Amino acid sequence: MIKIEIQDLHYTYPGGVEALRGISLTIKPGEQVAMVGQNGSGKTTLVKHLNGLLQPTSGSVLIGGWDTKKAAVAKLAARVGYVFQNPDEQLFSSTVGMEVAFGPHNLGYGDEKVSALVKDALALTELSDKTATNPYDLSATWRKMVALASIISMDTEIVIFDEPTTGQDALSVARIANIIAELRKRGKTVITITHDIDFCAENFERVIALSQGQVLLDGTANEVLGQENILAQTYVDPPQLTRLGKRLRLKETVRNQEEFLAALKKK
Amino acid sequence: MRERLSFYVKRESFLHHLNPLTKLTLAFGLVFAAFLSPWYWTPSFFVLFAIIPLSFIGKVQREYFGAALRLILPAAGFLFLMQSFFQPIGVKVIFKFWFLDITQESLMFAFTNASRIFVMVSSFTLFLLTTHPSELMSDLTRRGLPSQFAYVIISTIQIIPQMQAKAQTIIAAQRSRGLDTQGSFFNRIGALVPLVGPLVFGSLVEVEERAIAIEARGFTSTSIKTSLREIPDTRFDKMFRWFLILLVIAVIAARIWLS
Ligand SMILES: Nc1ncnc2c1ncn2[C@@H]1O[C@H](COP(=O)(O)OP(=O)(O)OP(=O)(O)O)[C@@H](O)[C@H]1O
Ligand SMILES: [Mg+2]
Repeated sequence: MIKIEIQDLHYTYPGGVEALRGISLTIKPGEQVAMVGQNGSGKTTLVKHLNGLLQPTSGSVLIGGWDTKKAAVAKLAARVGYVFQNPDEQLFSSTVGMEVAFGPHNLGYGDEKVSALVKDALALTELSDKTATNPYDLSATWRKMVALASIISMDTEIVIFDEPTTGQDALSVARIANIIAELRKRGKTVITITHDIDFCAENFERVIALSQGQVLLDGTANEVLGQENILAQTYVDPPQLTRLGKRLRLKETVRNQEEFLAALKKK
Repeated sequence: MRERLSFYVKRESFLHHLNPLTKLTLAFGLVFAAFLSPWYWTPSFFVLFAIIPLSFIGKVQREYFGAALRLILPAAGFLFLMQSFFQPIGVKVIFKFWFLDITQESLMFAFTNASRIFVMVSSFTLFLLTTHPSELMSDLTRRGLPSQFAYVIISTIQIIPQMQAKAQTIIAAQRSRGLDTQGSFFNRIGALVPLVGPLVFGSLVEVEERAIAIEARGFTSTSIKTSLREIPDTRFDKMFRWFLILLVIAVIAARIWLS
């Protein structure tokens, strides 16, 4: 069981942009966390610290006790899987099958285990019939699925999705929600960056809002999504139902239809 | 990922504000003069009294010295060694090494050649450091260079930094999937193999996409195009270019005269 501990993390890009300004967070094993915040608030920069792609300018990041400053990225990859924001930056193999096998193969698993992991990841992402296709011949929607599969096949304790639903249709969003639910069942820690606030409200228990490189809000989805005024600072609108609930002066903050109807009845 | 599209370093300096054609003439002028001059000391003279001062005037001395010390000097040094050893000219042997004779003539020859190469690479490095490629190209197309030709040049200038940026992203993707690109020499070499395919393939895809993108913006349109950016061409620029051309002519004259 692997815990994530971030201590007063600061990061400045070589060009001088101060992207993170003092972030402290703990994420428990098996938690499902959504990360929201306006463009440029530092979400991607933060998660790139979790697998060591970026190294803190100051502060520290511990992954199950491993300091990312000391552990090699290749070694951290056994604990943290990161699906890039842009699949085109992530895919490089000539077939879907090879792409998905690349990770588990590097982690040193035997052939049998690799093919079992690949099969499972392809089934979960509904790619089983596209094993021999070149990822570049797939549509953007499916390329994203390949990117997801290539990380899921590594069977890491922590899985990070950077904006998985952007540009996806309802069917594909449902598929992604399904994948996250399955990973939750398997006891994985899932961290998802998203601008899709309904997706966030429906699939995550904990929500972290970033603004200008700092944590603006951190709590359960209901707590965070209830703070309409504070969220406005990072240009996040709570879901319509939540806002409607507030207008109707419902006692609790609601985030989906069931909660809304239940609260309405009580009133 | 922020891509650096060229070697250009954005600063405010006299050199940056010169017309691009003037800087191009300067670079070629120094190179021609260094190669055609009859005197062996001309290239070194240029380094000391033109290139180094210019790097300070252009406020790019840090970048220039970085490149010069790490890249240009070792390459020129290598050339110098090879040529002084293997040039079978001259009779005045200075010293012997195994079966190799080093003569005064071969030393001179090697020194001149190495310093010429040094001038050539240096002056183009300075040029690239202080000239934005698109500024150069809009200036040259305004002067009548076919835009297809400009495109070929500009994409060549840009290709190395672009490939570098692309390689960086692919390496990041592969490392985060457990590929060990650090550590032993063999690890590093082994890590290059899965990099080559996507790098070349990705670049080809990019070329096609770019061709479509610029075509969609009327690249091959034959009507007269206007430019968003005015690139100043002052009296000083024109005079300086004439001076450089005269310098090259003078050097050629000296060479003919002395031979
Ligand atoms: N490679 C880079 N070099 C320099 N600055 C960068 C780089 N990548 C991001 N930045 C800057 O760092 C800040 C945080 O960027 P980051 O990509 O982490 O934001 P984000 O929250 O992921 O935004 P988005 O929602 O658009 O994905 C921004 O100001 C951005 O311009
Ligand atoms: Mg991002």
